[in-house]
Amino acid sequence: MELSNLSHSLNLLLPELTLSIALLVLVLFDLIFHHDKKIISYVALIGLLATGFFVINQFSLSGFAFSTGNESYRNFGMITIDSFGSFFKLIVIVASVIIVFFSLSSDEIKKTSERIGEYYALIFGMILGMLFMISATDLILIYLSVELLSLSSYVLAGFTKLRERNSEASLKYMIYGSVSSGLMLFGISLVYGMTGTTNLYMINSLIQIPHLNLFTFSFAMILIFAGIGYKISSAPFHFWTPDVYEGAPITITAFLSVASKAAGFALLIRFVKITFVSYIDTSGFWQLIHVFDWKTLIVVISIFTMTLGNFSALWQDNLKRMLAYSSIAHAGYIMLGLAVLSNQGLTAMLIYFAVYLLMNLGAFLVVMLIANKINSEEIDDYDGLGYSSPFLAASLAIFLISLTGLPPTAGFIGKLYLFVALVDANMIGLAVVALLNTVVSLYYYVRVLKHMYLTKPETAIPEIKTSKPNTILVLVLLIPIFIFGIYFTPLVDLAKGCITILGL
Amino acid sequence: MSLYDIIFYLFAAITILSGFIVVTSKNIVYSAFSLLFTFFGVAGIYVLLGADFIAIVQILVYVGGILILLLFGVMLTNKITNVDIRTGTIHVLPGAVAVGVLMGLLLSAMVWTEWKTQPSETPVTTTVTLGRLLITDYILIFELLGILLLIALIGAASIARREQE
Amino acid sequence: MVTNYIPIFLVLLAASIFGAAVVFSSRIFGPLRPNKVKIMPYESGKDPIGTTNERISIKYYLVAMLFIVFDIEVIYVYPWAVEFKKLFAQYGLFAFVPMFIFLVVLELGFVYIFMKGGLRWD
Repeated sequence: MELSNLSHSLNLLLPELTLSIALLVLVLFDLIFHHDKKIISYVALIGLLATGFFVINQFSLSGFAFSTGNESYRNFGMITIDSFGSFFKLIVIVASVIIVFFSLSSDEIKKTSERIGEYYALIFGMILGMLFMISATDLILIYLSVELLSLSSYVLAGFTKLRERNSEASLKYMIYGSVSSGLMLFGISLVYGMTGTTNLYMINSLIQIPHLNLFTFSFAMILIFAGIGYKISSAPFHFWTPDVYEGAPITITAFLSVASKAAGFALLIRFVKITFVSYIDTSGFWQLIHVFDWKTLIVVISIFTMTLGNFSALWQDNLKRMLAYSSIAHAGYIMLGLAVLSNQGLTAMLIYFAVYLLMNLGAFLVVMLIANKINSEEIDDYDGLGYSSPFLAASLAIFLISLTGLPPTAGFIGKLYLFVALVDANMIGLAVVALLNTVVSLYYYVRVLKHMYLTKPETAIPEIKTSKPNTILVLVLLIPIFIFGIYFTPLVDLAKGCITILGL
Repeated sequence: MSLYDIIFYLFAAITILSGFIVVTSKNIVYSAFSLLFTFFGVAGIYVLLGADFIAIVQILVYVGGILILLLFGVMLTNKITNVDIRTGTIHVLPGAVAVGVLMGLLLSAMVWTEWKTQPSETPVTTTVTLGRLLITDYILIFELLGILLLIALIGAASIARREQE
Repeated sequence: MVTNYIPIFLVLLAASIFGAAVVFSSRIFGPLRPNKVKIMPYESGKDPIGTTNERISIKYYLVAMLFIVFDIEVIYVYPWAVEFKKLFAQYGLFAFVPMFIFLVVLELGFVYIFMKGGLRWD
């Protein structure tokens, strides 16, 4: 690799570099400042903001970095920077910043405050893994970044060690995780055995003329999908989700449900788009190379995922567990956008993700604030909360209504764009299934509202007071839900500008 | 049958037989020890494929490291609840069907696929090429690996350290 | 081709035959008259105390993890070191910097565990 090439690559990699340096600084500061642990949270915040700054700077940038091969024959890079990637990176960074604020007020994390350095170091490991997942275009780098994300999240899922459920979550997560990453690695090895390359662009050009065994290739694709499907908790690979979400510290649960999922989806979209699309027709539909029927696979899995998530959520009495199933269902909805295989579907997915970030984090935040006080996440303990602590109950209600997808919240806009994309692609049957699913989901979201507002508590409960910063944090998540619910043009414009996935 | 074939089948037999013992043995310590031979057999196959460095890595890391960690794991968890750590067999029929289907898939994939092959030439030592690739083409992967290992260290410390009472 | 490796296979074969011979020949040729003292586990002349399958401390796990991580580190350093002269001639300092960063990152992890008392043995 020539030096000019290297500096060009490093320039494109600025957010990741900043984050890596921030990670090392965090580890160092954890050693230097044993006594004053507060400073570590601020270092983490500064590191994230700097990374976010570089990500925003990159919105106009695009290009390939770290090309492999020798001078005479150079292929595309291991990393692709484009607006699509920058959008998802921004989502990850915003979610991370919010998680840092979460952690500052979470009782669970406060109880382990002497280990806060480790906590942030591992979270930074996760974020770094996500950033690389979002822009990786080489199977080795994809595997490595997935592994980096998983490794940190296994530890974080059992971080507090306060309850037995904590370790259970960690162990289950790790066992499922290693199986699925093993499957993915095997799939990657099959692809390499057939094509002799790990670069997605190279694979794309090699499969344009289908001379390889389609059976083995499909088998390999399903195996690779197992690895990604595990990260986004789609249907046959979702078994870990409820247990891990319930057992893990709630900050980590929230982070996994938003950022980890966003990175997984970005990886899936980029993988399908770069490897399998032969051309994009004039109306924006992606024409796939006829080697593997992604459309059928994704349609089947998304129907399966959302139905399973929604119907399992109906019976949950623990709010974290219910939100876990609801996040499985949402993964199903978002997958619909990919099933369309068009630019319009991609736009809808981006909009949905931006909205999902706000409403899901918001719901988890309120559940955490309530759990800090009443030390419970059971739905029966929410009885009468609407009268004893009106602010928290009302905001939880709004977040849940938005998750259902009712107007005038932003959740409605997210779902609307998804359904419109489906209808435009003549996939009306699928839209109907998704609509029916939304109706089902209304039941379990409204059940929480019923407990908060209509059920009389057995014993009088005191008001749950929130500190000023927490109130502000809730409002920061709450207000955009209304703004985007009514005035959604900027969000849609942003998403429309961010569908460029460099390729071909 | 050439010498190459004989050696290959020897190592394949070692791998499969010891792998079979790993999964069927009732005593987990026996399983761990026969895993040693499985790793060893795989290392032999790597050598036959001309991947000499990977073979050494296999022995160094898997036999010398992972296996030790595995045995440590057994010793760490032994006698937690006065229950012997033993493996049992349940759900034989569904398990057999699933394994049969998977094996059928894998075998048919293996037989019918036109794998990308390279003409066999005199194997050169791979070590030098690897060293070159690490700091040229795969420099990003290499540095990311450093961070991955750092995270693994921090994670291990986080899990294993006793809380202050 | 693979014939290059035949000496190694022969050494392996010889080693395993020798090892097996040493272990089993005494069993085959020697008289086997066990008594209670003879079949006692050998602990350098002392009577064994307690059982053998005691639970060991979690601290060993950390040591084993450290061992594996540095094992892997060596695996990356080795091929680089073998080729370093040529790489240095070609790339100059840039043959050195990537490995330096890699090592610094890893040693930071080691220092971290050390300072956090992960290796304290009390």
